[in-house]
Amino acid sequence: MQHAARRMFPYIALVLGLGAVTYAVSFGTLPPADFTWVNETEIQSVDPQKVTGVPEGRVINCLFEGLYRFHPETLEPMPALAERHTVSDDLKTYTFYLRPGLTWSDGSPLTAEDFRWSWMRFLHPENAAQYAYQLYYVKNAAKYNVGELAAGDSVEVEIDDRPPHPSGREQLFPRGTILRGTLVSITKPPEPELADGLSEEDRADALAQWKQRWSYEVEIDGSSRHFSKSDLDGNQRCRHVLFDYNHVGVRVIDERTLEVTLENPTPYFLQLMAFYPLYSVHRATIEEHGVPLWTKPENIVSSGPFQLQFRRIRDRTRMVKNPRYWNAQSVAFNVIDALAVNSNTTALNLYMNGQADWITDVPGPVIPILQDRADFNSQPMLTTYFYRLCVEKPPLDDIRVRQALNLAIDKRIICEAILRAGQVPARSLVPPGLAGYEPAEGAERNVERAKELLAQAGYPNGRGMPRITILYNTLESHRTIAERIQSEWKKHLGIDVELENQEWGVYLDRVRSLDYHIARAAWVGDYADPNTFLDMFVTGGENNETGWGDPEYDRLIALASTQSDPAERMATLHKAEEILMEELPIIPVYFYVSKNMVRPYVGGFHGNILDRHDIVHMSVDAEEKDRVLEAEGIH
Amino acid sequence: MVLTLWIVFTVAFFLMRAVPGGPFQEDRKLPPEIEANIRAQFNLDAPLHEQYLTHLGRAAQLDFGSSYKLKDFTVNEVIAQGFPISASLGIFALVFAFTLGTAAGIISALRRQSWLDVSFMAMATLGIAVPNFVLASLCIVLFVFTMKLLPAAGWGSLEQIILPALCLGAPFAAYIARLTRTGMLDVLSQDFIKTAYAKGLHPRRVILRHALRGAILPVVSYLGPATAGILTGSLVLERIFALPGMGSHFIDAATQRDYTLAMGMVLVYTLLLYTMNMLVDISYALIDPRVRLD
Repeated sequence: MQHAARRMFPYIALVLGLGAVTYAVSFGTLPPADFTWVNETEIQSVDPQKVTGVPEGRVINCLFEGLYRFHPETLEPMPALAERHTVSDDLKTYTFYLRPGLTWSDGSPLTAEDFRWSWMRFLHPENAAQYAYQLYYVKNAAKYNVGELAAGDSVEVEIDDRPPHPSGREQLFPRGTILRGTLVSITKPPEPELADGLSEEDRADALAQWKQRWSYEVEIDGSSRHFSKSDLDGNQRCRHVLFDYNHVGVRVIDERTLEVTLENPTPYFLQLMAFYPLYSVHRATIEEHGVPLWTKPENIVSSGPFQLQFRRIRDRTRMVKNPRYWNAQSVAFNVIDALAVNSNTTALNLYMNGQADWITDVPGPVIPILQDRADFNSQPMLTTYFYRLCVEKPPLDDIRVRQALNLAIDKRIICEAILRAGQVPARSLVPPGLAGYEPAEGAERNVERAKELLAQAGYPNGRGMPRITILYNTLESHRTIAERIQSEWKKHLGIDVELENQEWGVYLDRVRSLDYHIARAAWVGDYADPNTFLDMFVTGGENNETGWGDPEYDRLIALASTQSDPAERMATLHKAEEILMEELPIIPVYFYVSKNMVRPYVGGFHGNILDRHDIVHMSVDAEEKDRVLEAEGIH
Repeated sequence: MVLTLWIVFTVAFFLMRAVPGGPFQEDRKLPPEIEANIRAQFNLDAPLHEQYLTHLGRAAQLDFGSSYKLKDFTVNEVIAQGFPISASLGIFALVFAFTLGTAAGIISALRRQSWLDVSFMAMATLGIAVPNFVLASLCIVLFVFTMKLLPAAGWGSLEQIILPALCLGAPFAAYIARLTRTGMLDVLSQDFIKTAYAKGLHPRRVILRHALRGAILPVVSYLGPATAGILTGSLVLERIFALPGMGSHFIDAATQRDYTLAMGMVLVYTLLLYTMNMLVDISYALIDPRVRLD
């Protein structure tokens, strides 16, 4: 027996080895796509209401469509699912008229109700959409999303009777029975006493548990009833007590007419209608399959130019043309691929080798080589690179120190010698190029003035200046920039600055808890309006993170959101930015440029400040493509 | 083995949570209400020991839950998609390393001190010394851009697997070549080989039948660590060649704080290493004529 085993072993090993090799080569090959682009990282989801990223946006803009879609070059919102809209005189009510005969990819009709329902899902607290605040411009939308109530509010109560879901996972939709009424009062047990040393998360958890035991008295059809989210005596158990969605400013007039009422005039509201979180999703599919199963290729029902064919994780998302799209005849591609490639070096290899038609980023060191190529497409972008200064930490609490630090930096050299891709030195937070807005530029570089200011602050030539640190997340270019600034401050102001790099998560933690002196940051505009940059720095704003606040600044930002005359509004925002550039809780360093490479045979690709490029506008000249690839010796 | 997996699980679980930052931390801070909603949805608001028990219970049933960052997929789906790709790559690399390594080793041993031996061993030394990502870059420049023979990256055809498998297997081929050569020289000088020759056996039979069996032993025992090396080596190469295998998932899961996916990956890797080492032990016993099988 044992000898048999021993004798057989080489053969067994050989068979196993051959079997393994056969297995290893047994994968099907894919037919090539008509258009392939490198979509950076793997997308988190194709559910428009669950994601926030740019790569996700590129795919979702293929699969879904909003009421409007940006013009590829001017970014003007162009009619998409809506054929037109009207605005009331007070600029607070938008009425959208949908195109006739719209259908979903499964053939069911697409109506105004789809938008009403989708926005309800988007805003529902349990859906936990990170972008929910993008819809806060709509009347009462924030109230619905945040779930804070006061006596007298109209409320909707979801009874704890959700049907068990076939997917096996608890689902938000279909919801339980909904009762509507008026909130009379909330009875709260004593608030838990929270120890001082408690972390922010533990604190939030304790408060959440406490809120579970609240009892809501609601008047429904003339009778008073009590509800609670936990089992309390005399209370009916409920899932949610929320502000009544029927009182949120979204109303269906008829199948093709949607009326939206806003809190304040919002000049960029139409732009939001071209922003993917506000697209509509298919209710029946979501209720039937639940999250996340409704996003599987075999289940998903979509409204855009393409349909999902399959997703190979961290490889590609393949989409095919949707024949039911309202404008299907103008869609140039039958099959498209979004590749998930994390390394921009690999992406460039794919591009150079003809495996990708468009890449969105290239490695920094090769930019000077690529810059002269016709297919290198670089455009100023709505993104600012800046340093946050923690104004709570001395010596940065002194405005003169902050100004001195700003005045001593040579931003031009950073752009020209370090970044070298056409980046623009920044003297304002808001990038140039926004229609109607003149950025409020701060002082120009002035080393003498910087020295004076520092001396006035009590640190002549940097003497006695407490040590400060520049914090940045680990990335080569952040380090190079920080080193440059460090050496300039040393040379001109005589101050010693330390550099500290931290991995992304740690860096975020530190900035959030104001545990830094100076921290590198960047902000990408969400929409083409200065407000997307400026409202960040209101006192206590979520993304302020500098400890800075100024009542006049807050007042101007609030004022701007109520002004209906565009020119006046821009002037108000400009004044606010002037304050920011005088006070300098941040030091703007430079404005980003996009770094696309697009094959010349791709049509319909235009540079724009949001760096947004929808595949639906693009096309490929097949003959030209063959000719180009042939000439480069790629088969 | 269960004990090993449990220990790995526990250590990995608490280490992951000890690292600052969480899966839902984004560049822009969210209003506290929204953040609370998200944390509640993923059960991150429960006390740590409760989370530990829930996850351990599920892992015991081979259910690793949904990925935090790939919201449309469960961890099991990610593994099901990624594993065959890494397995293909690993098998190719290993087969390549083994065949090339042993062949080069045997030839070197038989043609000792010849130019063939010297050049093989020089290449082997180089192969061990050059890290695989450097090799990968050189190969890409050479085969993709200069000779235009192979695609630059991606997954889906046999052409696309050649370069990554080559780069992944090369250092191990080199090491195996050296091991085989040493083993072969060692065995060839022993008495029973001389006896075999004296009995008039054909040299090919002597070498393949008698000498190789002893010479290959160190190689077989090296296959365990080699597999481990190939598994970890593929982390880097999958990134460079944009292969959607386990390595890519592992790196991204770790950097994105995708707790559930990272845990699934850690356990699969543990299981894989454990199994490969066991297989090596078994084959070792079967090959070595000195081991008695009872």
